[in-house]
Amino acid sequence: MTTASTLTDRYVAEAVRSLTRGQRRDIEAELRTAIADAVEDRLGAGTDAAAAEREVLTELGPPRNLAASYSDKPTHLIGPDLFSDYVRVLAVLLSTAVPLWFVFSGVVTFVAGASALDSLWSALWGSLETAMSLAFIVTVVFAIIERTPALRSRRTAEWDPRSLPAVPDQRGYVSELVGGVLFSVVIASVVIVLQTVGAVEGPAGTPIGPLDGPLWESGVFTVALFYAAVSISFHVFAHYTGWSVANAVATIALDVLFVVPAVWIVAGDRLLNPDYFATIGWPDGVEIVGLIALAVVVLFPLLDTVDAIARTVRTRRGRPARDGS
Amino acid sequence: MLKDEELATHRQELRRGTVVLACLMLLEKSNYGYALLTALDSSGFAVDANTLYPLLRRLEKQGLVHSEWNTDESRPRKFYTTSPDGRRLAATLRGDWDELAAAFTALTEEP
Repeated sequence: MTTASTLTDRYVAEAVRSLTRGQRRDIEAELRTAIADAVEDRLGAGTDAAAAEREVLTELGPPRNLAASYSDKPTHLIGPDLFSDYVRVLAVLLSTAVPLWFVFSGVVTFVAGASALDSLWSALWGSLETAMSLAFIVTVVFAIIERTPALRSRRTAEWDPRSLPAVPDQRGYVSELVGGVLFSVVIASVVIVLQTVGAVEGPAGTPIGPLDGPLWESGVFTVALFYAAVSISFHVFAHYTGWSVANAVATIALDVLFVVPAVWIVAGDRLLNPDYFATIGWPDGVEIVGLIALAVVVLFPLLDTVDAIARTVRTRRGRPARDGS
Repeated sequence: MLKDEELATHRQELRRGTVVLACLMLLEKSNYGYALLTALDSSGFAVDANTLYPLLRRLEKQGLVHSEWNTDESRPRKFYTTSPDGRRLAATLRGDWDELAAAFTALTEEP
């Protein structure tokens, strides 16, 4: 190719490059004529040929913009019609699946024999991967819907003001949240203080706390603390993204994830150290404290589950019936 | 004071639909791209070439104008003509424009 291409050749080639084969020839021919007509007009007015060509092309603007105007394809990934749905779906999925995956993979890795720190690390990476995969998949799906008119026209259901969610009771929510956090912190502090500062000298001459020694050293309580942190942040997310069936299912799954290992530990007499209670002169304490602990680990998740179901029922009842009555 | 850019955006939005109407009215008589551009310009409808050419394609796709290549001259040209559908749309838009103009007039005349 030794023929020097003119500016017009280069401009037209760039403008029609992204167009479909069917459009290309026709638009190219018309564009060439239009540019030639405009250049001719300027020559008549006394401008020299090269300057006239440059002026005309400058006025036409970047060829890519011109190509975008010719093409019917959207020049955005997700348009304003779908954007709010896109954000909502993304928020619900991220706020449910990611914390769930965090706890699940952390517990599984820990049970499989990894240390608490390694479990936490793998759970963090796993959640990050889950979040990125989810975001990617949701974005691709919405980009496809954006480009498929048949799918978009199915969303023509009329908006009904009655579908608006009830105004959340902000004050009740905040006090509930603060209460939950304080409760977790107090429990954790008491346990840590009793186990370390409150340790007494056991029969073997070593300091022992109320909790089973090997269990304490296994790091399971670190995992439990992180579970509490995730559970709390999950409830905050659910509050702001609006309570949905997905939130309820995730809450129940989180509760089950907690109850099963917790009951296995507490009911199997793996939580407390009977030597500690014997040393402090309260041998029955191991039974009594054990029962209280069992009640707590069963009752709290149970209340949480009931609350999740009640909220979902309440939210759904607030929506208008399908027949419009 | 309104910034130049904002002013340009407001004026552009107000004019957006008027170019379509002016094209449909001018193309009662068959014409080609560049000639239509100069005709619009001299009639007082400022429009850019990069807006007009894609617009003509869209109008053709919607069946509001018909087109035909004319190869009689040295330079082959695509001639556009308003279709019966285009004529009906032009009549409706003219009616809307007149109503709007009357409404604006009424606004300024109100005490």
